[in-house]
Amino acid sequence: MNKQKFTLLAGLCATALVTGFGNAALAQDKLEQILQRGKLIVGTGVGNPPWHFRDEKGDMAGFDVDVAKIVAKGLFGDDTKIEYVNQASDARIPNIVTDKVDITCQFMTVTAERAQQVNFTIPYYREGVGLMMAAGGKYKSRDEMKAAGAAVTVSVLQNVYAEEMVHYALPEAKVDQYESVDLMYQALNSGRADAAATDMSSLQWFMKQNPGKYVDGGYGWNPQTYSCAVKRGEQDYLNFVNIAFREALTGVEFATYSKSFEMWFGVKPPEPKVGFPEELR
Amino acid sequence: MGYSFQFGVIEANLDKFLQGLVLGLALAFAAIFIGTLIGLLCAFATMAKAQTPSRLVGIYVSAIRNTPLLVIILFVYFALPQLGIRLGKHESFVFSLAIYAGAYLTEVFRSGLAGVPRGVIDAGRAIGLTGFQLALCVISPIMWRNCLPALGTTFISLFKDTSLAAVIAIPELTYQARKLNTETFRVAEAWATASVLYLATCLLIAAGLRQLERRFPKF
Repeated sequence: MNKQKFTLLAGLCATALVTGFGNAALAQDKLEQILQRGKLIVGTGVGNPPWHFRDEKGDMAGFDVDVAKIVAKGLFGDDTKIEYVNQASDARIPNIVTDKVDITCQFMTVTAERAQQVNFTIPYYREGVGLMMAAGGKYKSRDEMKAAGAAVTVSVLQNVYAEEMVHYALPEAKVDQYESVDLMYQALNSGRADAAATDMSSLQWFMKQNPGKYVDGGYGWNPQTYSCAVKRGEQDYLNFVNIAFREALTGVEFATYSKSFEMWFGVKPPEPKVGFPEELR
Repeated sequence: MGYSFQFGVIEANLDKFLQGLVLGLALAFAAIFIGTLIGLLCAFATMAKAQTPSRLVGIYVSAIRNTPLLVIILFVYFALPQLGIRLGKHESFVFSLAIYAGAYLTEVFRSGLAGVPRGVIDAGRAIGLTGFQLALCVISPIMWRNCLPALGTTFISLFKDTSLAAVIAIPELTYQARKLNTETFRVAEAWATASVLYLATCLLIAAGLRQLERRFPKF
């Protein structure tokens, strides 16, 4: 082998090595991969307002969708560069693990058990159970209902621990379990129940759709944290998403987050305090 | 079939199932009692010479018989309070089932009345019975005899209809089965138990009514 040939071979090897490593590094870095693709693949559901559903025009809408848009805006400066993958609740984790989606935003409750399978982002909402009463009804707040004891009837969706759930807030109340959400609301409308108890976000959405007809009981319990989830082992990418969310909750994108929050839940989220960054206290 | 039966959870909740069954029977009994009164009244009203009672009964019977019971129950429970008529939860169900039962029983009694031979009525008149005496002592016994088999079928059907009370959160048997189902996911066990309890109860009612039929005086 002459010297020229050897140099050429060595050069080829080196190139192959470098490009090979380069490709490997590229394949490993999810953030880079998404940026090159030019769109974010978001896993979420349809048909659960105010979280994720198709609006009258057939476009994806809801709070989960808006949260995903924050990430897309951070990536591309354009919140329309999203491909939605419609998935059932039980596909949320598998679709992340098998790389079918880059991120899942689908009212996913954070649990330590799930955190072994996926990486959770920082939370964007805290769900809980709330009480809703008819406006101008007998009781104005949870305290009044608590004082009234067994005279109060609460309608709930039939569920495991439905009675325990209500009795946590109203220990003596009678609990009527209905098999569908519309029957639960009907019970409240017809005065069969003094209050309806269900997910705070559903109540807020319902109150927003029917302004002036209902009042909030002013008490929430049974907290559960909602976060988006990404694949494990992509720390850089996770950091990026977390920064995008943090700045939406506390920084430059707060206006976007706040507008969306108010749109779906009818109330404004508390403003971040200017000055010392409170979350570091 | 990847389902393995576990009846332990049913055993632990059997008291709730039985409470539900008893509640269902009580609801059925109350509704059938009121329904029978309505049915007798309406059936005899159609015998009157005047046209109006007959027409009114006709309207009532066809209106109720052509409306699903579930719709009646939901209407009475949810809609009537908004119109200012408020019945309690159990009362509203008994009311719904009673007017429903009344319509069906009217038809049963009417068929029983139609089977009373003309000659017997004429004979009663001939010995100078008043209209009331005639109805009570001559027509009624024959009418009851005639419609006993149909009555049994209707009673059993009405008892089974108490399962619809689950929709308005009355804790009868179906409600208890559904509740256990959502709480434990023992779906086959819960519904199998409810079915068996309904079946056994209906068979008992049927046997009782057959005894009554056998012992009822023949004419």
